[in-house]
Order: sequence, then structure tokens, then C-alpha cells
Amino acid sequence: MGGGWLLATNALALLIPWLMKLAVEGLQFPTRALHHPGWYAGAIALAALAQGVVRIFSRTTLLHAARRIEFRIREDLYARLLSLDLPWFDRKRTGDILSRFANDLTNVRMLLGFGVLNIINTVVVYIAALALMVRISPFLTLCAVVPFPLMVVAVKRLSASMFRRSRRAQEELARLSSQVEENVSAMAVVKAYCREEAQISAFRETNSRYLDCNMAMAALRGAMLPVMAGAGAVGTLIVLFLGGERVIAGVLTLGDFVAFNGYLAMLVWPTIIMGWILNLMQRGAASMARLNEVLDAEPAVREPDEPAAGAAIRGAIEFRHISFSYGNGLVLENLSLSIPAGARIGIVGPIGSGKSTLVRLIPRLYPVPDGSILIDGTDINRLALKELRGAVGFVPQESFLFSRTLGENISFGKAEANPAELHTVTRLASLAGEVTRFPHGYDTLVGERGVTLSGGQKQRAAIARALLKDPAILILDDPLSAVDARTEEEILAGLATYYGSRTVLIVSHRLSAVRACDLIVILDGGRIAEQGSHVELLARDGLYAAMWREQQLREEIERY
Amino acid sequence: MHFGGLYEDEIVGKAYDRKLMGRFIRYLAPYRLLVAVTLLLLPPMAAAKLAQPWLLKLAIDNHIVAGRMTGLPLLALYYLLLIVAESLFTYVEVYLLQYLGQKVMFDLRLELFSHVQRLPAAFFDRTPTGSLVTRLTSDVEVLGEMFAAGIITVVGDVLVLVGIVGIMLWMNLKLSLVTFSVLPILVWIAFTFRRRMREAFRQVRARLANLNSFLAESIGGMAVLQLFGREERERREFTRLNAAYRDANLPVITWDASLYALVEALSSVAAGLIIWYGGGEILRGTLTFGALVAFIQYIEKFFSPIRDLSAKYSVMQGAMAALERIFHLRDTEPSPPPLSRGERGEQEYPLPPGEGGAERRVRVEAGIRPGEGERPAVETIEFRDVWFAYSEEEYVLKGLDLTIRRGEKIALVGETGGGKTTVTRLLSRLYDVRRGSILINGRDIREMPLHDLRRRIGVVLQDPYLFTGTVGENISLGDAGAGERVAQAAAVVGADRFIARLPQGFDEEVRERGVNLSAGERQLISFARAVAFDPEILVLDEATASVDSASERLIQKGLRGLMTGRTSLVVAHRLSTIQDADRIVVIHRGEKVEEGSHQALLAARGLYYRLYQLQFKD
Repeated sequence: MGGGWLLATNALALLIPWLMKLAVEGLQFPTRALHHPGWYAGAIALAALAQGVVRIFSRTTLLHAARRIEFRIREDLYARLLSLDLPWFDRKRTGDILSRFANDLTNVRMLLGFGVLNIINTVVVYIAALALMVRISPFLTLCAVVPFPLMVVAVKRLSASMFRRSRRAQEELARLSSQVEENVSAMAVVKAYCREEAQISAFRETNSRYLDCNMAMAALRGAMLPVMAGAGAVGTLIVLFLGGERVIAGVLTLGDFVAFNGYLAMLVWPTIIMGWILNLMQRGAASMARLNEVLDAEPAVREPDEPAAGAAIRGAIEFRHISFSYGNGLVLENLSLSIPAGARIGIVGPIGSGKSTLVRLIPRLYPVPDGSILIDGTDINRLALKELRGAVGFVPQESFLFSRTLGENISFGKAEANPAELHTVTRLASLAGEVTRFPHGYDTLVGERGVTLSGGQKQRAAIARALLKDPAILILDDPLSAVDARTEEEILAGLATYYGSRTVLIVSHRLSAVRACDLIVILDGGRIAEQGSHVELLARDGLYAAMWREQQLREEIERY
Repeated sequence: MHFGGLYEDEIVGKAYDRKLMGRFIRYLAPYRLLVAVTLLLLPPMAAAKLAQPWLLKLAIDNHIVAGRMTGLPLLALYYLLLIVAESLFTYVEVYLLQYLGQKVMFDLRLELFSHVQRLPAAFFDRTPTGSLVTRLTSDVEVLGEMFAAGIITVVGDVLVLVGIVGIMLWMNLKLSLVTFSVLPILVWIAFTFRRRMREAFRQVRARLANLNSFLAESIGGMAVLQLFGREERERREFTRLNAAYRDANLPVITWDASLYALVEALSSVAAGLIIWYGGGEILRGTLTFGALVAFIQYIEKFFSPIRDLSAKYSVMQGAMAALERIFHLRDTEPSPPPLSRGERGEQEYPLPPGEGGAERRVRVEAGIRPGEGERPAVETIEFRDVWFAYSEEEYVLKGLDLTIRRGEKIALVGETGGGKTTVTRLLSRLYDVRRGSILINGRDIREMPLHDLRRRIGVVLQDPYLFTGTVGENISLGDAGAGERVAQAAAVVGADRFIARLPQGFDEEVRERGVNLSAGERQLISFARAVAFDPEILVLDEATASVDSASERLIQKGLRGLMTGRTSLVVAHRLSTIQDADRIVVIHRGEKVEEGSHQALLAARGLYYRLYQLQFKD
């Protein structure tokens, strides 16, 4: 489509010098003139306007198409991201993913839009203009285009080494920016030791290296323009000399001379752009490869090939000899634990003992070996992800809220929830009182653009969000670390009325939070160190009892 | 003051802001000569460009039409010379412009960096590191683009345009006027497009910002998103934003294509006008063929800089937005503001007469660095009713009184968040007290030169921050005086042994903030750093992180070496430290609740007794 328009544009563009040629010939030999100069002028103006209109269409069609393709690729990229699992995201830095969406996608779009546009342009103009030039004078054509291949090579080589130098400058810039980052994050040390001056002079050094890199690039960039313009001018020079000679000899008309010059001028730009396009193609290909890396990425957490026929999940969970590692060192080691449906389980232990990992595996945030975790007797790897995750209400340690309204955040897992349901869970999570004090209630924007919630408010919103899903399994991963022990106990007491027949797992660093649980599991180094009820564990006088005494003391100090 | 987040998304629509530009121009002042050269180069450059069609006219009129071959080779030679001259001028001009741009960027980066060094600690609490990095890198880069494709180039373009108009008027007044009858249309087009473009670009940027922040949030909240089965809905929302961005771009493309096509068409129409009117004149014999051809070429050259108007516009718009953000950072108040007496309403204690200020000035003028030469030893450090809050009215310290005498070792203990670390930060003036005062030898520390104060205090932070560089450089931090004492300092804290075992010794490179060193070794390097600077007062925030027993022994030995002969204030987390302390101060909820020796406090069975059980026993 766009190509058709482009053909029309170029045909009209080529018509104009031809009309000029006829006009000039008419002026040179008025007796033989077919038309009055005014006729040619009118024809030129008409062709120009027609060309303008057609050009608008050709450019918009092609460039719009490139934007549409960009849109599609971006859609595919995002859809792929949604299907990837946490191990993948743990390996990638957010900045790297974002740069693929921004820079690499732009490179590909440039290739598709300007690249294709100019490739078609160049081919068409070359074929047509050269044909017409040959018609006027084959010899002159040959002479005039001699500098052109040289120009393509020169531009390509120039822009290739410019690309290399710009990469070096980019690396230097990266060094500069990490120096700034280091300086800012170490500001306390810098100030304490009065190192400001030393830091400045170190920065000055990097800064001047970067300057040098940029100047090396400027040397090339400066050469670019003269090379581009120069080759065209040399062509004109050749035409002026040899063509002039021919006009004088009467082999060519003055009109031929003018038209020839016009065509030659038309060739200059496409030739210049060719060298550029060659590099654009390389860069576009490299970027496309980086995009394909994302598009072809396969998550380790996958939908089962044949999902188990789904009865409603009741919530019995069994861990069978599970070992797990994030990459280096086992976090869970041959751990087995059986949780009956409807039980309340507390999980405690020192930092790094594997508490959070254990509960993260239940909704398959990370891949687990077949047969190592079962829900209601079915391997979780055989449950449809939607079904499994639909049955799990998860309150993560770091309560992540989106920059939307509070209501939207709470109804994140159940967008069709009605206000009454919303209010019920907010009340259960002890957030209802605060909601009424927000400027727009549930419609209050949360995050940078709106109200900044305190850590405790965020955590309670995350709890409400999980409750609204009405899950069979509720997992609270240290959900109230941002409030004090007493408030935590109050909030948990409020929640208890909601538990009903649900299986509830509470991970906490405070023993008071899990004291009321049916079963308390103490993890240490990825293994179960002790388990039992609060009373049983105290009687055992082991790790739990020691932790309990310490906690008592801590509370005493807090109340002091 | 908004940094990051919201602020970054604000879109500046202007492509030229006189105030910002006026301020920016000042950065060109040191390069006046260079600016003058680049400007002076513009006329010969334009002349070389404009003489080419004129030569063509001469060739046609005097030789080709006249049928005279003689002289044509000479003209061709002139033409060649002009090409060479134009290329040369262009090269030099582009190079000098880039040089100028890079120099200004260099200065600006350095100035910003130096400015950041002077900002108060509180500034860094509320400003994300990333946004500062962006100010110094990407934003400054955008200004570079302005140099490459902006201001001075525009001046050159204008010069060429004026030159063309002049030559054409001079060659043939009537024909020029006829040709330029398209100009009003051009001006009208340019203005219309400018208005539309401005709005369209604003839309594009706003929607791109939306799309990007949505994407970044999706990546950050991916676990939540997947746990709550939101994939389908989020994808739909993304599609909406993605489509909105695409749709904002489409009119930009259409406008841009239209501008390009119209300018192109107008240039052909102008050529047509030349043929029509000029043709008539040729027939009447009042115009030569050469002039006609030259006219056509001039009009082509006239239109070419106008074609990429929209690209230039976009660059300028981006540059103005970057300038605004850069100047915003530049205008942030540096710290700490000099203490002007009588201004502080909460100043409850009269300050002792400050003859020290004058004395320091004399020393500085005499070339003596503050902190060198005879300075009175620190006899007392006194906290007098010190109140402090990081944010409005949330007081972390509430009326702390504490006196430390020369050579004393004071251990601060208490719960996390009780205010211990704040005490150490106030002493080295990372933050200033809200009420009350801190006195050294009876003199308010806010009255002392900051460098003098900090030179007397060696601070060891909880996080032993290591820089990129060698072990030795991490101890000396590039200070000449400290550099001489590196080996000695390492020996004092017992770091010499492990350093000797490193393949390169003191020249071993510290990788990525010290991943190649153990936690204990990193601590020892930071101890050695403090010793190398040989401070009178040592302020130490002990790391809470538990280390293996080998590291623990290393650290204890290091600590003893570190504190020997110095007045020390330690936020204590280890048993050995409190046992060695002369006095223990218990801080609870911002107040001093107990004070005394380890034995006496234990015997009192108060808060310290409980803290001891919890934090230090076993």
C-alpha cells in the first residue's frame, strides 16, 4: 500500500525535472516550443502539488504501519512478560527489561519505518532517474555517478566507526553514571571524611575521559556532512564540465543539461541514506535479537499439559521431602510437612531459615519438582495455575500496591466486587476507619501521585486484597511487620473471625502472632527444628522456648 | 521540592524559554572566543555554499550558451575549490560546535557534581539516587544534542536563508518577488505546524510516560499480579495505554509528513513560478538562462533547512525540559547554612564569643589547612538539651544531655530506632540539631568550620562502604596525609595480616563494593580508614550483622586498636565493647534513661539489665 504511494510520489518527482527540461528547451529554441513557459510552469506546479498529496499518503501509510507493528511487538512483549515466572525476573534487572521496551523497540521501528521507506525510495529513484539520465546521455551518466559508490562506502564506514566510537562513549558514560551513583550512596562516608574535593577531582577525571571519547566521535561526525554534500557537488562539477562541453558542441540541449542536473541532485540523498540504512539494518537486527530473547523466553513454572480434573480446593497441603534452592545453596532441605484442611499453622524461625520460601512455593511462584507439594492429594504441578492461585490468598512480606485507587487495589483479585464486600474485608483488615478519613475514601489514589500510605496501612490493604479473593488457603507472610506487636495482635484477632474453614499459614518474626495457631513450625537452616502447639513447645524448652523468653524481654523493654 | 516520580513526568511544552536560555548562555561565557570563531565561520561557509549556483550561472551564460569552451575549465576549477572550501568550513564548524558543546557539558556536569557534594544529608534521604544520576547524565546529554542540532546551526541556516534572499533580489528583483510570493504560505504553514506539533509532542511524551510507568510497575509487582490472576486485565489495560501511545504518534507522523511534503511541493511550485515568469523574461531577453538555472538552485537550497524544522523543534523542546530539571537541582540550597546568630529562635543558650572564626580565616590565608598546626585538643563534648527530628515534629531525640570528657569511651545502648545513631550523626553535623546545642570545648559546633569539625571526628559507619579502587585507596580515600599512614593504620587495627595474604596486597582491587572480601575484612578496612585519618574523636556505629567467630575476634582486636588514645562514642552491639566502655549511656525513645558503668547499671536492674539479657548476653 505505502509502497504504491511511494511509487506514485517518485514518478511525480521524476516528472518535474523532465518538465523543466522541456521548458528550458522551449526557451532555448522558441520556434520549436510546444507550449508557452506558463504551461510548463502550471504543469510543474500541478505535479508538485499532486506529488505533495501523494507524498503525505506514502509517508503516513508506511510510518503509521511501522508504529502499528511496534504496537504489536510491544503487545507481544508484554503478554510474554506476564507469562514469565519469578526466577526469570530475578535474573533480569528491571532497567534492562525497560530498555528493551524502549531502545531496542525503537531501533526495530526505525528500521521498519524510515529504513523501509528509504530502501524503496532509493531503489525506485535509482532505477527511474538513471534510466532517464541514460536517455539523455549514457556517457555523462557514467561519469556523474562515479563518485556515488565511493560515497556509499565512505558513509557506511564512517557511520560504522562512529557506531563503534559511540559505543565506547556509552561505556564511558556508564562509568560516569556509576561513579555518581557510588558517590551519592556513599555520601555519609564522603562527608564524614571530608572527601568532597577528592571525589570531585576523581569525577573530573572520568568526566574528561568522557569528553575525549565524545570528541573522537565529533571528529567523525564533522566529516559526515562534507562527505555527503561533497560527493553530490563533485557530480555536479563533472556534469558542469563535461555536460557544458556537450551543450556547446550541440550534442545536448540546454534543457537536457538542466534536467540532468536535476536528476543528479535527486540521487544524492538516497545515496547518502543508503550507507546509513546499512548500519541501521545491523543495529535493527541486533535489537530484534534482544527482543526475541524475551519473546522466546520460556517460564519454568508452566501450565500442566493435562490439568487434573478440578474439584473445589479444600486446602489440605502436604510437603513431601522438598529441597529447594534459588541457585546457590539449599534454602529448604528435605522438608516434609502435612497440613490438614482448615488448620492454622504458624511458621517461625531465624532470618534466612526458609520461612518465606516455604510459603512462596505453594502458589508456584517458583518451580518445584513434581510430587513435592500436594494440595488435597493432587500434585500442584498438575493443577491449572488459575485454579491453584485462585485458591490461595497471599499477603507478601513487601506489600506491593499499584498506583491506582485504594478500591482498585483491594479488589485486585476480584474486580467485580461490590462496595459491601469491599467494606467487609477492609473492616476485617482493620483499615475501615482510616479509609473514611482519606480524601476520597476508596477512590483515593495510592502512591506517588496520590496519598502515601504508611507501611502499616499498605500491609493492611494487602491483607484486605487477599481476603476479598475468598481463598481456601490464606498465606500471611510476616504481614504486619510495620506495626507494633500489640496492634498486630489486635489485627490478627480481628482476622480470626474470617478464617472459618480456611487453611491459614502465618509466617512471622513475632511469636505472639502465631501463639494461637494449631501447629507452630520452627524452621532452622531449611529444616523443621521443632513443631507443636505453643504449650507443647514451651514445655519442650527448646529453640521455641528460648525465642519466647527473648520476645517477652523485648516486650518488657518496649513497654519500659 | 519534588524530585523523581511526579516531577519527572511533568512535560514542558516550550521549545524556547528565554529565562532558561539566558541562564544557560552564561555557561558559554568562558568560551567567548570559540563562540566568536564558530559564528565568524558561518558567513564564509554560507558564501561558499551560495557561490556555487552563481558559478553555474556564469558557466551557462558565458560559456555554454555562448558556445565558448575557453574559460570553462577555469570555472570548473573554481567550482571545485568552492566545494573543498565548503567541506572544510563545514568540518571545522561542526567540530568546533561539538567541542563547545562537550566543554559546556563537561563544566555543567562538574558543577552539578560539586554542587551535590555540598547538599545536606537530609536532601539525600528524600531524593532517589537514580534521579540524581539522571540529572548528571541523560539530562546533560540532551543539551549536547541541542548543540549538535540546535542554536548555532539555526543561526547558520538563517544566514543562508538571508543570503539567498539577498542574492536573488540583487540578481532580479521582479523575478525574486514573484518567486517569494510563496513565502507567506510557508510562514503560515510553519506557524500552524509549530502550534500543532507542540500539542502533539506533549501528548506523545505524556502517554509514553504513562506507558513506561505502567510497565515498570507491572515488572515490580509481577508476583502480586500473577498471584491474583490479573494477567488478562493488566494486558487489556496495557493494550489501552499502548494504543493510546500509538494513536498519539500517528498525528505527529501525519503532521511531520505533511510539513515535509508541503515544503517540498512549495519548493517545486516556486521553481514553476521561476519557469513561468523567468521564461517570459528570457523570451523578452531580460533574463539569461544561467540566471534562471541559478534561481532554481537557490530556491532548492532555500527550502532544504526548513524541511527538518520539526526535528529541530523536538530537540529544543527536550533541551528546555532538561535545562529546567538541571537548574532545579542547581538551585537546591547547599548545606549547612552558616549560623547567623540571633536568627535562631530556638537558640536557648548564648554562644561563647567566636574569636575562632577570625583565627581560622587568618590560617586559611596563611595557607595552613584547617585541622593542621596548633589547635586546642578536644577536652569536652557536650550535648545540651538536644532535640532532633528527621521529619516535622516526629522527634527522635527529646532533650538529650550528655557530657563526654577527653579520652573517655562512651557506649550508647538501646533499642533499634531509639535514637543512638542519630546522636552520632549530629556530632559530625550530617544533620543539625533542631533545638539545643552541641558544644566542643564549650563552643557550638555550628560555629566551627565544617572541615575542621569533621577532621577531628573519625566516623565508622555500620555499613563499611567500600569504593571502586584498591584496598589502599579505600583506606586513604585519596588523602595524601592518610596515604602515608595506610600500612601503619592497617597494622593498628590488625588488618595487615589479611591484606598481606591478598595477591596484590594493598593494591588489590575491591570488586563490586567488596564482594571479594568477608564481612569482617570489610569492617577492618573501614577501621583502618578511620585510624589513617588520625581523628581525636572516634564515632563508631557497630555493625549489628552477626559474623563468624573468626571475624568476630578480628573485629574485637581491631576495635581496641582503633579506640586506643581517642575519645570514643560507640553505638554498641557487642559485649566486649560495653565491657570495655568507661561509661554506658542508655537511650530509650529519644531520651537518656540510665548512665553509668556496666557493673553499676547491671546492679540497678533497670532497662540496661534487660537490654543486656537480650542483646549482649551469650
